[in-house]
Amino acid sequence: MNINQTDKHKDRNKKKKKSRNGNRNGNRKFPIFYIILITVLMYIPIILTVFYSFNASKISSVWGGFSLTWYEVLWKDREIKEALGNSLLLALSSCFLAVIIGTLGAVGMSKTTSKFNDLISYLSTLPLMIPEIILGMVFLGIFSFMGLPFGMFTLIIAHTTFCIPYLFIMVSARLIGIDKSLEEAARDLGASQIRTFFDIILPQLVPAILSGVLLSFAMSFDDVVISIFVTGPKVNLLPIKIYTKLKTGITPEINALATIMLAVTILLVLLSNWIGKRNQSSMS
Amino acid sequence: MKKIAAILLGIMMVAGVLTGCGKNTTNDENGANQTTQEAAQTAEATAESTDSNTTALSGELNLYTWDGMFPQEVLDGFEEETGVKINYSNFDYDEDMLAKLEETKGGDYDLVIADDYIIELAIKEGLVQKLNKEQIPNFGNINPLFQSQFYDATNEYTVPYGSGIPLIVYDKEAVGFEIKSYEDLWNPALEDNLAIVGNYRVIDGITLKTLGESFNTEDLDTIQKAGDKLLELAPNIRLISDSNTQDYIVSGEVSAAFLYTSQVTQALEANPDLSVCYPSEGLGFGIMAGFIPSQAPNADAANAFLNYILQPEVSAKCFESIGYYCTTKAAEEFISPELKDTLVVPDTVTEGEIIQNISQEAEDLHSEIWKKFQEACD
Amino acid sequence: MVPIYLFTILFVIFPLIYMIVLSFMSRAEVWGVVMDFTLDNYKKILEPLYLNTFKESLQLAFLSTSIIIFIGYPFGYYMGQLEDKWRKRMMLLIMIPFWTSSLIRLYGWIIMFRSNGVLDMVLMGLGITEKPLKLLYSYPAVATGMVYALLPFMILSVYSSVEKMDWSLVEAARDLGASRTKAFWTVTFPLTLPGLMSGVILTFIPSMGLFFIADILGGNKIVLVGSVIQEQLTKGRNLPFAAALSVILMVLTSILIRLYRKIFHTRNVEGLV
Repeated sequence: MNINQTDKHKDRNKKKKKSRNGNRNGNRKFPIFYIILITVLMYIPIILTVFYSFNASKISSVWGGFSLTWYEVLWKDREIKEALGNSLLLALSSCFLAVIIGTLGAVGMSKTTSKFNDLISYLSTLPLMIPEIILGMVFLGIFSFMGLPFGMFTLIIAHTTFCIPYLFIMVSARLIGIDKSLEEAARDLGASQIRTFFDIILPQLVPAILSGVLLSFAMSFDDVVISIFVTGPKVNLLPIKIYTKLKTGITPEINALATIMLAVTILLVLLSNWIGKRNQSSMS
Repeated sequence: MKKIAAILLGIMMVAGVLTGCGKNTTNDENGANQTTQEAAQTAEATAESTDSNTTALSGELNLYTWDGMFPQEVLDGFEEETGVKINYSNFDYDEDMLAKLEETKGGDYDLVIADDYIIELAIKEGLVQKLNKEQIPNFGNINPLFQSQFYDATNEYTVPYGSGIPLIVYDKEAVGFEIKSYEDLWNPALEDNLAIVGNYRVIDGITLKTLGESFNTEDLDTIQKAGDKLLELAPNIRLISDSNTQDYIVSGEVSAAFLYTSQVTQALEANPDLSVCYPSEGLGFGIMAGFIPSQAPNADAANAFLNYILQPEVSAKCFESIGYYCTTKAAEEFISPELKDTLVVPDTVTEGEIIQNISQEAEDLHSEIWKKFQEACD
Repeated sequence: MVPIYLFTILFVIFPLIYMIVLSFMSRAEVWGVVMDFTLDNYKKILEPLYLNTFKESLQLAFLSTSIIIFIGYPFGYYMGQLEDKWRKRMMLLIMIPFWTSSLIRLYGWIIMFRSNGVLDMVLMGLGITEKPLKLLYSYPAVATGMVYALLPFMILSVYSSVEKMDWSLVEAARDLGASRTKAFWTVTFPLTLPGLMSGVILTFIPSMGLFFIADILGGNKIVLVGSVIQEQLTKGRNLPFAAALSVILMVLTSILIRLYRKIFHTRNVEGLV
């Protein structure tokens, strides 16, 4: 509802400034309705998950009344907490590495003309095309061949490998059609290559990097198949825990966990919003 | 952009706190454990005169099995008693575990609990070490029915931990007749109303049983004959699933289901009105067992853990929690009366046949038959 | 640029070679391979049984990718035109569900669609249907699950190219008298094509391998290449055959993406294939 109002408002303002803006802002009702509809559909399973986390019954098909038991069970579950920490650490480290490797790779390749560029950019996206399970098995073989001890280290390598393509694809797509004149102007004015990268190129890439990070974080945070092969005896990961728990029976404990994670994410979003607003007002 | 950066930062902080927490608690526990460990050792040294072989335990026990195989209190109890920290990690398929053991040459893990047939292979591959029975004085508590099986004929490598028989569970009212045999699953009255587990050796196996054959026949013609018959079951199949199959019968998605034991237990727990059929053609049964990989970093702890879970009371707790048939004879009397019927099985259980490893050709044929069957179901 | 070269060589090319080599080996008795060159693994794929799984996988991937384009492109397109503040919020709103385990979300759908599930209760409560619908464990259920799982990839890709689009071009076209539709097809669409392409790649490729959706929502009745590979690796313990299946799957996907690019005449597609 809010979207609608602000946009209408914006519409009116724009119309005052510019008489013709029909292309962008005409007929706004349908798009807004469409966006809301699809978003609501995407949230249906989530809402049900949250709802059933308060189910007293262990079996999800029976509603046994409201209860917080599963939150208590979850709170006492040491393994889940450890696994959650490990998974966050893993997802963040591999995203971080993937951002650096993927972005630098995409930018570098757009600047140089080497016949290997095409080949490497094709190959670097291959992990997306190989079924996860065989990738996991192959990693298992390769890592043991290299003598790497199975654990967080091997996990980070494996996850970085399949996170890079997301960053690489997103950033490359963004680089095409980016205005080169700004960059040239900066160079003409004597900015160093590094300076140009950080001041001119990077800011333009930020949306693409962000989409890439959001996707690869989600992929890493959700990966079971590859992780199960490359993890070591001491590293428990959340998706593996969830997966193996779901295998033996859908316990509402998992729903409770999903609910809490959802709540924390939303809280963080709100918090950052608030911080952002405060910064803005203090600056002005 | 600042906002997003702030979110990411926030997430990072949470991650830091959590992992920090995890580490702190483990450190604390280690610290606390050390003291309890010393206490336990002195206690053992004084109290247990029968067990002269008590070696000082320390370090960590890397336990590798499916999720939910031990109640938390049992794991905690062992940690408290011995001061060993348990790292419980999970695999999905037995074969994933085998792959991991092969690649680490039997290292990394101290104790594995897996299915009978895969243990046979692991032993064959030299990935399993013999138990140190001096460290397992409770070895005698095991129900001998579940010992001396094909995978470990001399009982040198394994401690059985749970046994199961896949059974048919059904809603008599919805089905409209009494299911007495595997054969009855072919009844057209069950159209689009049957859920089965997804293990092809099991499903092909019961088809072989309806023809009066063994699960483990290696005769390709016989297997093919069973395969043809299996195709006729397709119209009845609503879904095939290895996990949570019990949920579908409880929710009423299907009116009959062919389930693993732990699933049977869960289904009956959720809805005691469901009927169970012990098929007349003969039962199939399987055993899960614990073994110690050949290069286990802490085999002492593994032996001690096996000994720990063989204590009658502890064992009873375990089986009540996992819902498989109790393989510890001495534990039977400690199992709560309401679960006794489902968890303690009569001696006749071993008249059932175990699914064993068969020749490659036969195995491949089973797999092909299964694929055709799945396609026919669609 | 050095890091991506290094990383790709070490952790992509190396494993790739390993996989291809495996696919020409013979299986060992218990586990692994014996160094015994053979083409049998590839010959086996030609059996109708396995060819059929490839066909099914491709069909499903095409179907779900098409649906995803129809739903996701407009979404990304409209989203890219929202006010700056709302764009960021939408981006998060789309991603938040996908930070929850995909399995949990799948089971959410099961709660929704199963017999006597939420949807049935609502429909029967409103008197629209009388009997529980049997919606799950069917082809449409699997396709829905795929679309749901992969939609954000399309949305985000399209969004990121709409967002950076130079709208003055569209305005120029309108000034020159092009209708809104014409302006869209001649200016906007070609400019957002790279985004659409990367969206297609990001959805099509995984849809070939997302077998667990087919397993859970299709009740294991729809067999995709991914499931076969998984089964060969696990229950079948046939590493070389699984590797051969993967090689073929990979080659097939690469060819399709190349074809796709040819058809759409886009050379500037993020250097892929």
